[in-house]
Amino acid sequence: MKPIVELKNLSKSIGGKLLIDNLNLSLYPGQITGFLGPNGAGKTTTIRMMVGLMKPSGGDVIIDGVSLRDNFEEGMSKVGVIVENPEMYKYMTGYKNLLHFARMHKGVTKERIDEVVRQVGMQNRIHEKVGTYSLGMRQRLGLAQALLHRPKFLILDEPTNGLDPAGIREFRTYLRRIAETEGVSVFVSSHMLSEIELMCDRIAVIQNGKLIDIREMSETQGSFYYVEATPGERVEKLLAAQDFTVERFKGGFIVNAEQAQIPGLVRSMIAEGAEVFAVQPHKRTLEDEFLEMTGGGQIAETLTK
Amino acid sequence: MLKLLQNEWMKLWHKKGTWVMVALLVVITAGMMGLTKWIDTQRTDSMNQVGNASVAVSVGEQTDWKASVEGELAGVRAQLEDTSLTKSERKELEGEEKVLDYRLANSIEPLDQFSREAMVMDPSGISGTVLLLAVIVAAGIVAAEFSQGTVKMLLTRPVKRWKILTSKFMAVNLFGILLMLIGYIVLVALAFILFKSGDGQYLVWNGKEVVEGSIWGKSFYMLLLSFGSVFVTSAFAFTIGSVFRSSSLAIGLSLFIYFMGSTVTMLLSRYEVAKYILFTHMDLTQYETGYQMVEGISLPFSLAVLAVYVIVFLVISYTTFVQRDVKA
Repeated sequence: MKPIVELKNLSKSIGGKLLIDNLNLSLYPGQITGFLGPNGAGKTTTIRMMVGLMKPSGGDVIIDGVSLRDNFEEGMSKVGVIVENPEMYKYMTGYKNLLHFARMHKGVTKERIDEVVRQVGMQNRIHEKVGTYSLGMRQRLGLAQALLHRPKFLILDEPTNGLDPAGIREFRTYLRRIAETEGVSVFVSSHMLSEIELMCDRIAVIQNGKLIDIREMSETQGSFYYVEATPGERVEKLLAAQDFTVERFKGGFIVNAEQAQIPGLVRSMIAEGAEVFAVQPHKRTLEDEFLEMTGGGQIAETLTK
Repeated sequence: MLKLLQNEWMKLWHKKGTWVMVALLVVITAGMMGLTKWIDTQRTDSMNQVGNASVAVSVGEQTDWKASVEGELAGVRAQLEDTSLTKSERKELEGEEKVLDYRLANSIEPLDQFSREAMVMDPSGISGTVLLLAVIVAAGIVAAEFSQGTVKMLLTRPVKRWKILTSKFMAVNLFGILLMLIGYIVLVALAFILFKSGDGQYLVWNGKEVVEGSIWGKSFYMLLLSFGSVFVTSAFAFTIGSVFRSSSLAIGLSLFIYFMGSTVTMLLSRYEVAKYILFTHMDLTQYETGYQMVEGISLPFSLAVLAVYVIVFLVISYTTFVQRDVKA
């Protein structure tokens, strides 16, 4: 598949400090890619370079085959952007704000504005001043302005900030739908790991300005079970003897066993005279993996932001 | 580009402040005219008292203007003695001499300064108010996008930055022109309502003979010249506002320059450098009113100097705006 967006050896240094170091990344149509990284890893800087708010010191951003450096206008005409909290002109109505941004794109008709307003469910309050909107409504308006020109690529920086759980869910299904039905490529940066986990097909992890991992969420990562049994040492030895990798976790062990092996495993433990309290499937969360990849430490800070 | 300008215009008029500015302009202009009227009535009252005492009012007034024209003529002639005058200066003075001569010979009174015609002929008084308001808009038009955070929305569009900046600069100037016109309309309307048409005539020397000059022609010309300071100062405010992203700094600096400018020029007027500083040329009406602060400058020279300054301002403004990394 041909990527919609390619970052090629993207670098940025400010004041002699290298913030982004040779970043290479491709984003494909119909795919939602999450962008993760601890604070100060360079997420925002990367996104700013992708949307033309910052100039790269080296490398290039290519959108649908067009380099932003060479042809900014054509490249950007395919990008929809929501950067952090969508700040709108508070003294104008939501509709006037959309009209304002529509005028900056080619071929966005009044009908298209109305259509997008309906899509984000704002038709009842679109003619009120943005200053009177709640944060959630501003987020909806922010989404509306990003969709006006039917972008092939949607880039979102912390999009669910300030949305209530129902709003987040609606937002998620909406993104999924436009990715699947219209083949839009979506790039989401977020601190909310659980959010990314639910929303994305793929995640890219950045640390210290370098891309450290890209992985498909659907990739089978092996099957794990949580086993709680006493006495601990005897059980550990027994499991190890059966060629399982065993890892201590809380009061029990994490074992990389397939479903079919479980009855045999339980039987052998009972035969050994061990007391079995629990055997349950164990799913490693994105948070676990993220901490493992970035070496923890900074994550506490990241999550509390 | 037209759409971008439309956007800027829409944003401008959706701010309450803009409407307040227009209201202020109307009130201040009307206030100035009212004040002039009041001064006029005070003057005529006292003159009438004097007139009653000496019985013949009309005779008194007539000798009055003749004496002042004679005085003026003597002044012009004295100036003409000066051999260091340039050709154009000499020509101008000779024209004045001809007009004054003609007045005395044919007994044609000059326009009274409180006549309707004199009010219409010099609308430059509104430029101060317009300048103040235009500077506020010019200073904020870029800076506000940064302070509100909307700049991120504005610059992530398929529109090159220089186009956005150009649309903003055009909006500022359009606003300045509109304010000038509004102020002018108020001024002319009140001149007609409050003041009587004078007995005198406006005369000019056209190179061959003395003829009656066009009051409206002069009026528009003065309006145009007084727009010069509005244009230059708002270009300055626009530059400061877009470079430092702070509208208060831009307003402060611009007004400081506007008010301190003439003082600086006065201090430096003896030196050659005075010819090249901005302040010397800001007030283009100096060539019509004759209050030139520095000698040896002409209207084309002033226009050239102003053009250089404005180009420098805009180059600074464009390069910083186009190159800037938007972080906030």
